[in-house]
Amino acid sequence: MSAEQPSNFAPPPTSSATDAELLLALRAGQTAALGELYDRHASLVYGLALKVLNRPQEAEDLMQDIFLNLAQSTYDPKRGSLRTYLAILTRSRAIDRVRSHNSASRAIERSKPGMNQEVNTNSPLEYAFQNEQSQEVQAALAQLSEEQQQVLRMTYYDGLSQSEIARQLALPLGTVKARARRGLVKLRQTLTNS
Amino acid sequence: MARSMPSEEIQLLIAGYVLGELEPQEAEEFERLLQADPAIATEVAEMQAALESTYGAEPVQPPVHLRAQILDTHAASQTQPANQVIPLRDRKLNWNRLLGAVAAVFLVGLGINNYQLWRRLQTVETQPQAATPLRYTLNGTKLAQTASASLTVNPTNLEAELAAQNLPPLPAGKVYALWTVVQKNAPLTVDSKGAVLTQTFTVDAAGQANRKFTVPPFYRDQDVVSKVAITVEDASAPQAHVGSPLLITNAQS
Repeated sequence: MSAEQPSNFAPPPTSSATDAELLLALRAGQTAALGELYDRHASLVYGLALKVLNRPQEAEDLMQDIFLNLAQSTYDPKRGSLRTYLAILTRSRAIDRVRSHNSASRAIERSKPGMNQEVNTNSPLEYAFQNEQSQEVQAALAQLSEEQQQVLRMTYYDGLSQSEIARQLALPLGTVKARARRGLVKLRQTLTNS
Repeated sequence: MARSMPSEEIQLLIAGYVLGELEPQEAEEFERLLQADPAIATEVAEMQAALESTYGAEPVQPPVHLRAQILDTHAASQTQPANQVIPLRDRKLNWNRLLGAVAAVFLVGLGINNYQLWRRLQTVETQPQAATPLRYTLNGTKLAQTASASLTVNPTNLEAELAAQNLPPLPAGKVYALWTVVQKNAPLTVDSKGAVLTQTFTVDAAGQANRKFTVPPFYRDQDVVSKVAITVEDASAPQAHVGSPLLITNAQS
């Protein structure tokens, strides 16, 4: 890790094994490998879970769900980084839990006399993170085109596959890929040089 | 930074990896680059950091107790998962419970002696299936003609013991890799050689290794394991599986 990168986001170097090797060992049943993966990524997963759920107990439940099912996950270490997979999965599962809770609340509200109108609970959870970006990050984002930002948001916030993004935006898949990748490269260059 | 920035093309490939959407052909290319240049891993970490600092939440350390809770739950699930062969110890307990219930109904008719004889017979019939270890003997190929190794697996708890002798000393940055080659069409994720990386290890100055570790659950199905082999691989990426077998076996003995 270089000195330029935000230190909060650096996983602690506790072993020379790669995430892919640890996942392999975990899939072979080795609990120690799970411990190592937990040490590397727990703060990422818990931070995201807590941010969306806002309740420590629910965030802890989600942590258990994520880490105990990691060995059986469909994650393919060859296609991408484990941290991105974990971040997308955690946010998605957390939002599902909030929606499920809101849906139950709505049902209770609707059952009350005089409460027939729809309660607006579709708050933009996916974008709740944006308001807290530092000035440095906002300046870096400003270097990206709106199209690049949109595709990165849809990939990392919404967890959509690039073919799904291509379908939704009616764009060729190659265009979506290029926008996401070029946008991320630009972000990395701007943040490292600032 | 002391190192130079990778070319734009490589940076775009790294971005694809960090975003988790490499195509299979790109994934192969990325893996090759990763093995050839350690700076790629640093670049991955920096690009990951850029993505997370822009779109992620502030990392928060979870409560200390949670780690132990998760690891304990995982360890317990490994010793007795729902779809696993029940260990012999527990089988005996279950037999005792079953026999207790049966005895309550039939004990008068059976008589104590018959009951004891019958139970002993059941125990004898049950024991060999659960406790017989699987033993794989690996012989040296022309690359290591005097080398030999044995892998002994307990199919109940999946604990394995590897004993290897006369293996050549390892060059710096290399490890030995134990591979399990599985039958074609087995419902498992395998590499391009049909193998699953099972364990990495090193040897002492005499070329010996004695290691205990856990093997994947598919070892319980003896029809799945086709061969066991040992190769030399890069310590940083043993999963690349570029080495040729130094030792190999065809069948369980």
